[in-house]
Amino acid sequence: MKIVKQYKAIFLLFGVLSIVSCAHEDQPGESRLDYTQPQKTELDNWITVNYLNPYNINAQYRWNQNAVDNNRFLFPPMIDKVQPALEVVKQIWLDSYSAVGGADFVKKVAPREIVLVGGVNSNTNGTRTLGIADSGQRITLFEVDYLNKKNRANVTEFVHTIQHEYVHILNQNKPFDEQAWQKISPGDYTGTWHLEVLEDSRNLGFVTNYARNNVTEDFAETASTILTSSKAEYAAILASITDPIGRAKLQMKEAMVVKYYKDAFNIDFYALRDAAEKNTTNVINN
Amino acid sequence: MYNLNIKFMKVKNILKFLTACSVLLLLGSCNNNTDAEDIFNKTPTERLNEQKSELKDALLASEFGWKAVYFTDDTQLGGYTHLFKFSADGKVQMASDFDDDTAVYQSDYSIALGSTVSLLFETYNRIHLLSDSNSYPTTALRGKGYLGDFQFLYYGQENGDILFKSNRLVRDIRFVKATAQDWADLSKNLVTEENLVGNINSPLYKLLEINDGANVKKYDFSFSSITRFAVAKSIDAGSSEAISVGVGYTPTSIVLSPALEVGSQKLSNFVYDAATSSFTATGTGGVTASIKYSNAPLVLTDDYKVALPAAGSPTNAFGYIAANLANAPTNSPLCIQLLNEINASLPATQKVNRVQITFAPGGIADIMYSFTGGRATVYHRVTVTEDAVNKTIILKNSFWHNGSAIVTAPALLKNIDDKLLDPKGLYVIKESFRIQFVNTIYTFSGASSSFRITTYAFQ
Repeated sequence: MKIVKQYKAIFLLFGVLSIVSCAHEDQPGESRLDYTQPQKTELDNWITVNYLNPYNINAQYRWNQNAVDNNRFLFPPMIDKVQPALEVVKQIWLDSYSAVGGADFVKKVAPREIVLVGGVNSNTNGTRTLGIADSGQRITLFEVDYLNKKNRANVTEFVHTIQHEYVHILNQNKPFDEQAWQKISPGDYTGTWHLEVLEDSRNLGFVTNYARNNVTEDFAETASTILTSSKAEYAAILASITDPIGRAKLQMKEAMVVKYYKDAFNIDFYALRDAAEKNTTNVINN
Repeated sequence: MYNLNIKFMKVKNILKFLTACSVLLLLGSCNNNTDAEDIFNKTPTERLNEQKSELKDALLASEFGWKAVYFTDDTQLGGYTHLFKFSADGKVQMASDFDDDTAVYQSDYSIALGSTVSLLFETYNRIHLLSDSNSYPTTALRGKGYLGDFQFLYYGQENGDILFKSNRLVRDIRFVKATAQDWADLSKNLVTEENLVGNINSPLYKLLEINDGANVKKYDFSFSSITRFAVAKSIDAGSSEAISVGVGYTPTSIVLSPALEVGSQKLSNFVYDAATSSFTATGTGGVTASIKYSNAPLVLTDDYKVALPAAGSPTNAFGYIAANLANAPTNSPLCIQLLNEINASLPATQKVNRVQITFAPGGIADIMYSFTGGRATVYHRVTVTEDAVNKTIILKNSFWHNGSAIVTAPALLKNIDDKLLDPKGLYVIKESFRIQFVNTIYTFSGASSSFRITTYAFQ
């Protein structure tokens, strides 16, 4: 027998053995995992109808240690505070973006999950973390228990959080021109922003103290502050800046935000602001 | 040598050799026993599922639910009693003695799987009060609340109790079967707290007395209801022995964690006796421990001499600063009440800022009262005399002034000022703890009242 034939025979044997060796494997049986779904409450159904079905966004209010920072002492929101908070978020944030950016806008660029936390996320330096955006996928909102729909300042602060975090998510989808932005206020960013005085920060061209943390926070604060202010309120902020250079810097940032929304998402930023303001008034009056 | 052999092996032989090896390997692989060594008879999934249903069954088994005194961290905080009644539909009824709202509330629980099977209180209820970063008992716990958890890892059962460990800090939590009485009497836990704290006029000094059957040892016992934590320091000269315990409440007693060890016995349940206002734990063989009141400091010291600087020395100043010392555990309830009364009668923007006594040589002192919100500072000039027998200083009125001119005595400050001018004098104690700053803490307490104020030493 020639070598080639020998090998043919051997490979044939290989094949047979390989197939036979599979014959003894156990077939998968019934799953041993418990797949029973927890009973849905009225609130769960409301979330399904208003968030999950239209936007593919899940709102998580039951505690899940994997969705929060375990080193922080936080707790789930009171059940009766969940729906009002989500209604505020839907009306002022989702509805405004849908109205101006098109019905599908938030469906495409949105966090897939909103995690609600009842209490304050207090930091050891005395500041509070109001919200967190994770990898463009999840927004965590704190202080849900303290939201008072009738109080405009309170609603505005709460909505500011989600507007701010959503700007991060937009940025995580399409970056803004960080280098150009950095050139406006180089050297005025500081890690100890919470010790600064608002008036000084505004005179340096920052809309809030927190904007001084870094460039991305500056962008998010500029955009979200304009979105949570009426045209007149924002004009008043500009008018309160005594240093004309500072005012010009803030206006440059504003222009960059407007351009970013137009170029990246074809959204008229001022129309978005007006829609948000109208929806905020609706929330407070209803 | 081996290398050489390969060199001289024919290519055909090498192929044969490799093929033979492959066949052997393939045949060997046909052994289909891929199981790891069976330590348990069941798969991990089966065992987890069993644990899950074991825990669920246990939670549902007790007619009146479960009681747990949860010591979140007994190195700095006390115990919080919780009552739980679980139902099969995922609801739990809960009550807690965290504050005076001991009503029953309903929320959801679930049996969660993580690193192990755990009981998770997944929607808001009383137990979450211990895990609020914004509600912390001491500044050291800023951002950490009361260090509480609401996810408990299941560690089995013992004598009908369910054993858990907290998720974050891995502290033991024991669920014991509750009774109908437990639910009815929960609010009495706070009466126990009042009994332990005493009322505003209770004597200031408390001691822990331990009788080991032969000898009695005394400890200066101090307790903070804000942290539910007690520290008992030996009063023996030269001894630095201190016993630190977390305190939990029952309707009739206090529970200490860790338990007090006397010889080989462990005492943890101290029963209240209303007649003597004391709490006593009784062991066997004459072993007892009790917490009771005393009218004078347990040890009289010469600390009061700081109030009498020698001629030619600088002044000694001691200041209560509201911003830092308002929560000092050594301020007596009477002191707190008097300060609050002053604040309440001031306009909303003004508060007491400092009460500061500056002792000058020659038996003269100024008690300074300063305020926030722009209110003018006033001073009470007093004489200082020594009571060497009782080891107190006695302050007596000279006049009030504003730094440059004499003023009339402000009615606002009369009550607190009267306590400082206690006719029997003030005990002065140099404390061994610090609050926020490195300054030594001194307390001044009335010899004939339950007034005690906490101050920083400025020298």
